[in-house]
Amino acid sequence: MKMSGDFMARSSLVALGAFAIMASAITILVVIPKIMLRQVQAMPELQPYTEEQLRGRQVYIQNGCLYCHSQQIRDPAFTTDVDRGWGSRPTVPEDYVYDRPHLLGTMRTGPDLINVGQRIPSEDWHLLHLYDPRALVAWSTMPAFPFLFEEKSPEEVGENDRVVPTSGPRAKEGITVVAKPDALALVAYLISLDRQYPVADSLRATDQVVVGTRGGMGDGP
Amino acid sequence: MTAVPGDQLASADVVGRLTPQEVEAVAGSRGLAPEDLEIRLRADASSRRAVLALFAVAIGWLLVGSIFGDIASIKLHTPEFLTNHAWLTFGRVRTAHLHAVNYGWGTAALIGMSLWLMPRLVHSELKGARFAIVGAVLFTIGVAIGVVAVLAGYSDGMEWLEAPRWVAGPFLVIGGGLIGLSLFRTVISRQSEHLYVSVWYILGAFIWFPMLYVVGKWPTYNGVESAAANWFFAHNVLGFWLTAMSLGGAYYFIPKVLGRPIYSYQLSIVGFWSLAMFYSLNGMHHLVGGPLPTWMITTSIVASVFMFIPVAATAINLHMTVVGRFGAMRYSPTLRFVVIGGLAYTAVSLQGSFTALREVNRVTHFTHWTVAHSHVGGYAFVTFLAFGAMYYIVPRLLEREWPSERLIRWHFNLALGGVALYVVALSWAGVVQGLALLDPSLPFEESVRRTIPGLWGRSLAGLILTAAHFIFAYHFWLMVRRPERAVRVRPPFHDARPVLYTTRAEAGRR
Amino acid sequence: MLPTSLLVALATVAMTLIPALVLFWAWRKGLFHDLDGQSRVIFDERDLRVKRPWESDVEQLEREVTYGPAEPARPGEWGGADRGGAR
Repeated sequence: MKMSGDFMARSSLVALGAFAIMASAITILVVIPKIMLRQVQAMPELQPYTEEQLRGRQVYIQNGCLYCHSQQIRDPAFTTDVDRGWGSRPTVPEDYVYDRPHLLGTMRTGPDLINVGQRIPSEDWHLLHLYDPRALVAWSTMPAFPFLFEEKSPEEVGENDRVVPTSGPRAKEGITVVAKPDALALVAYLISLDRQYPVADSLRATDQVVVGTRGGMGDGP
Repeated sequence: MTAVPGDQLASADVVGRLTPQEVEAVAGSRGLAPEDLEIRLRADASSRRAVLALFAVAIGWLLVGSIFGDIASIKLHTPEFLTNHAWLTFGRVRTAHLHAVNYGWGTAALIGMSLWLMPRLVHSELKGARFAIVGAVLFTIGVAIGVVAVLAGYSDGMEWLEAPRWVAGPFLVIGGGLIGLSLFRTVISRQSEHLYVSVWYILGAFIWFPMLYVVGKWPTYNGVESAAANWFFAHNVLGFWLTAMSLGGAYYFIPKVLGRPIYSYQLSIVGFWSLAMFYSLNGMHHLVGGPLPTWMITTSIVASVFMFIPVAATAINLHMTVVGRFGAMRYSPTLRFVVIGGLAYTAVSLQGSFTALREVNRVTHFTHWTVAHSHVGGYAFVTFLAFGAMYYIVPRLLEREWPSERLIRWHFNLALGGVALYVVALSWAGVVQGLALLDPSLPFEESVRRTIPGLWGRSLAGLILTAAHFIFAYHFWLMVRRPERAVRVRPPFHDARPVLYTTRAEAGRR
Repeated sequence: MLPTSLLVALATVAMTLIPALVLFWAWRKGLFHDLDGQSRVIFDERDLRVKRPWESDVEQLEREVTYGPAEPARPGEWGGADRGGAR
């Protein structure tokens, strides 16, 4: 079994070159940004998620809401997100500080949700919408999530049950719809989605990176 | 003389019991030097089980993934379809589809192809084949865990990376690692002087995928950092894993079947390194307009446009190799699938370069266009490559040809027709959706309403593709399990003693 | 304060320089000699002589002249179930 040094050199060459290129790309697009973005801090108006909101965020992830809904507003000079009323300003890295992982999304089969809490602050609306989207939005193609709810006869309804006022195609006579904890958590998360507070300056607009303290933010061009 | 089922073929040890003249005769008939015959037999025999196992697993995932895809597609225009069950909700079944077809079907099929190809390319046998099989089993378990987890409502939350990292991860990492190890050992043990370009692509794929996986699954990202890492992984897994192995296949099967060397080996070198350089920086084009530092996104857009260099290199190379011989596609299913795959690679890459430009992205981002684009790549390119490879490899593993010309024709026609309908219907839906979204005087309802016909078209296309897959799976089953329907293969000197095509029992009696 | 553009420029230079160096080393190591031979490494001697049904007589003759006497294709040679394959 011959092991020519030449061949070893050639195959190591390919391996080394391949590794080096990928490592460089990782440095440029993942490592450097990670260092830069370390200095990003939330605006005082943005609170960390409560426990229930975090649980709701998990429900959002688990049921794949992000595959139809985005959570980002783009520059009004570029496109019509703001014109559509989805937000009054483009979203910036500071808006996502507490998001682990991001839920920016890549499809708008449904509307953008980053400010849905400000647009639709009604718990009843969200609960019914999740139970049966077409009760509130006739043309909607969103799936219903009846499994996030329990259907009880009126006698079974407990004192602490969160009853959902129903209407529309799925509403049944004599059945009371009660929200499960997951539904309530999800709605709590949705209502918390509000990034309408103003943001003075942002890393996105600047071309500076500060290594170390936050001091440089807002000083830049 | 009756055909012998593949798994009863005598092992390469039989060669040791032949007289030198017999070895020379058999070797000569296969166009090999006598000393290479044993190497070739060992190469083929060593990979056989691992490759067949991976192909079988891959086809299983293809069927499962196709069904998930159909369900997801129907839900988009008929939302009440199967809507009561949590495990079938669109958000879970769509993800299950993506995992099943990319990490199940595409990955397994291409790994199988690589395990067959690598020993041949380096004129060695597959080292550590047993580890490769164990690795394949573990990897499959990992994928299955991922799919089941997603359906059960466990997800790590990033697209393409949903499989729970601490549960599915170990299986994927260890399984993939064992396979990679087997391949690396095979390369190191090589007998050939030269390092053919397909070896680079496959070697590269197995170096790159672990790097990508670490980046993607790194547990400490905050906020938009995770978006950068997400799309770094998701885009590069296409280019440096699925595409890399697929191109490795294309560079082999096209010249091999045609009996003409690749048009320009220099171009293939250019193609490989420029692909590595530019593709790796593309990922942020999924985030155009998004909340990330603008320089990152601009870098990706520029790199996406530069992609035309490697794409042109590959396109020219493959085209000039085939030119004048397109008629071969009538005779060779492998060529049929692989050439179309090559064309699709060019198409999807050009599409990608254009779509990355801000002005175009403005229309297509967040729409079905992106999904259509992903199927040009994932289906018309990668899946077609895998089909072509399987049609070529399986007869050589089992020493018999495919039983039915008709089933192959049905498979090809349905697959091609299906994907064409898919891409046209869904791209159209994406464009009307995008244009509607760009008009603030139109309510959001319009962007949904106008896509419905295209979505129905896509569902129809999906059903056609699923039918093609079941036909292929049936044919594969016939090939593997029903030897009496296979064609009798005459060994090279069938009036002489059938020294190679003999059962172990007979061999023992000699 | 380091401008981002500088970091990116440096990283890009590194990313271009490293493959350039690798390619230079490859050239010195003889990776680029005999590229023709490299492109033929996938062929058995037999592959180039097999009669291909889609080739014209002239093309088949050229093949014979260059590589030697023609060989019949085996059933399933091209990845299919050949029409009129041995049955």
